[in-house]
Amino acid sequence: MTSTLDKLHAILRRDLLTAIRHRSGFVVTLVGVFTELAAFYFLSRAVGPGFRPGGLEYFPFLLVGTGIYTFFVMSAQAFLSAVQEAQQTGTLEVLMTTSTAPAELLVLSSISAFAGNLVNLLVYLFTGVAVFRASIHANLFSCLAVLIFSMAIALALGIAAATLQVAFQKGSAVLWLLGSGLWFLSGTMFPIQSLPRPLELLARAVPLTYAIDGMRRALLQGQSVVAMAGTLAVLAGFGTVLLLLALTGLSLSLRRARLNGTLSFY
Amino acid sequence: MRVRGCLRAFVVRTSMDRVVFESVCKTFRHRPALFNWLGKERGGETIALKDASFSAASAEVLVLLGPNGSGKTTALKLISTTLLPDAGSVRVGGFDARRDAGAVRRQVGIAVAAERSFFPRLSARENLDFFAALDEVPSRERAQRINEVLHDTGLEEQADTLVMKFSSGMYQRLGIARALVKRPCVLLLDEPTRSLDAATTAHFWATIRSLAQQDTTILLATHNFAEAAAVADRLLLLQRGELLANRSVGDNESAEALRSFYFRLTGEVDETIDAAHRARTAQ
Repeated sequence: MTSTLDKLHAILRRDLLTAIRHRSGFVVTLVGVFTELAAFYFLSRAVGPGFRPGGLEYFPFLLVGTGIYTFFVMSAQAFLSAVQEAQQTGTLEVLMTTSTAPAELLVLSSISAFAGNLVNLLVYLFTGVAVFRASIHANLFSCLAVLIFSMAIALALGIAAATLQVAFQKGSAVLWLLGSGLWFLSGTMFPIQSLPRPLELLARAVPLTYAIDGMRRALLQGQSVVAMAGTLAVLAGFGTVLLLLALTGLSLSLRRARLNGTLSFY
Repeated sequence: MRVRGCLRAFVVRTSMDRVVFESVCKTFRHRPALFNWLGKERGGETIALKDASFSAASAEVLVLLGPNGSGKTTALKLISTTLLPDAGSVRVGGFDARRDAGAVRRQVGIAVAAERSFFPRLSARENLDFFAALDEVPSRERAQRINEVLHDTGLEEQADTLVMKFSSGMYQRLGIARALVKRPCVLLLDEPTRSLDAATTAHFWATIRSLAQQDTTILLATHNFAEAAAVADRLLLLQRGELLANRSVGDNESAEALRSFYFRLTGEVDETIDAAHRARTAQ
């Protein structure tokens, strides 16, 4: 346990030092957050106050939808980038020769990636509330529960992208598909009830739909954990199954790469 | 082929053997994209190791010599578990590299020939601290060990420089430092002095001998006969994945003797002699 915490500390420190030494990174992120929120704010004004998806004002609806969507995709992206960068710099092979098991290493690395994106999400939501006056009515326990299960799903997606990167060097393509498909199907910009019935059913099979819906209900409507038990159970189920599948896939792809000598291919 | 039968008999497996290769085969397959309809890419396969059997004992420096593509790096990667054998077994400290990869990795440190296998925006010290944490070096010992290896590799002055500002030689020294900080039982070195200056190289050879005296098993792949003569207890000669020779190296054996042994067995032409002869004739 001490050893695992020590490793996590080392990974967090590495990523923090790398981030702060990319001096322009923070400024670019902040400007990006502000610009994106401004665009959504004016979009919601253009649509007008009559459009209230699920009884919610449109700007807070967009704020939570795009915030969670970005958290998902950027977490998976950060994870994938870490693997790609490690392949390109040659650190991946060396990392795989350390005493830390590959699965442990990837999970610890993903915690670091999520920590950064969690900060981004909080900045995004805070800016939306403080600067653009989005009205919220949060139940913190529910928010936390949704976030934890959502992170498990995002972790699984990140590991899946890393698995495909190791196996076929094509993790980016999967993320592109994931990004564009989820944007359309998960209710990020509009309620999934607006979709034709077959697509709505497809949207209900997408875990991000439940993460976004759950966070809207927890953050904007203040619903309790008990009231959201169904959504939380679905998120927990998705998280467990996807994590098991992703870790199995990763183990197989690493084994295959070790057999074929393609661990550092990119 | 010529000597393999004898070599098999030569492999004496005692409790002292820390690294054991037993009939190891490794082949890399090439799969051209779109069956070469659009471009031209090599197909077929490359035999990296063919039925290779050898062992390395505790406190032994085993040097791997051979032309490019002879299987030296593949052998080191198999020991470090970054590659798995197609057939045969690789054991380190009694653990099988395929079944107990974690136990094997705990005993092995590797310095690879590839430069830049570091995090560019971390300093040398920060990189070493990161890898030491992953290698489960206790945090209370880490700073002390890092200072020691920075001293041993002559990187004390550059300890707090971001590694993206390093030269090739500094990268190589840092790679050696990373392998040493773990204090591994088995140290794998792939062309460790390729980019080092003469003084650092000499100091490094002394470090290798000193580590061997402290019971570390060292496998070192090189093209440098002087290096082989300076550090080797025994040498393996590989060519196209086959083991041509496995013999001890005498204390007073010269680089020149190893060079002629190498060219005699591999059948390659020693063009340096031709070049020297041509230069003398021209004078």
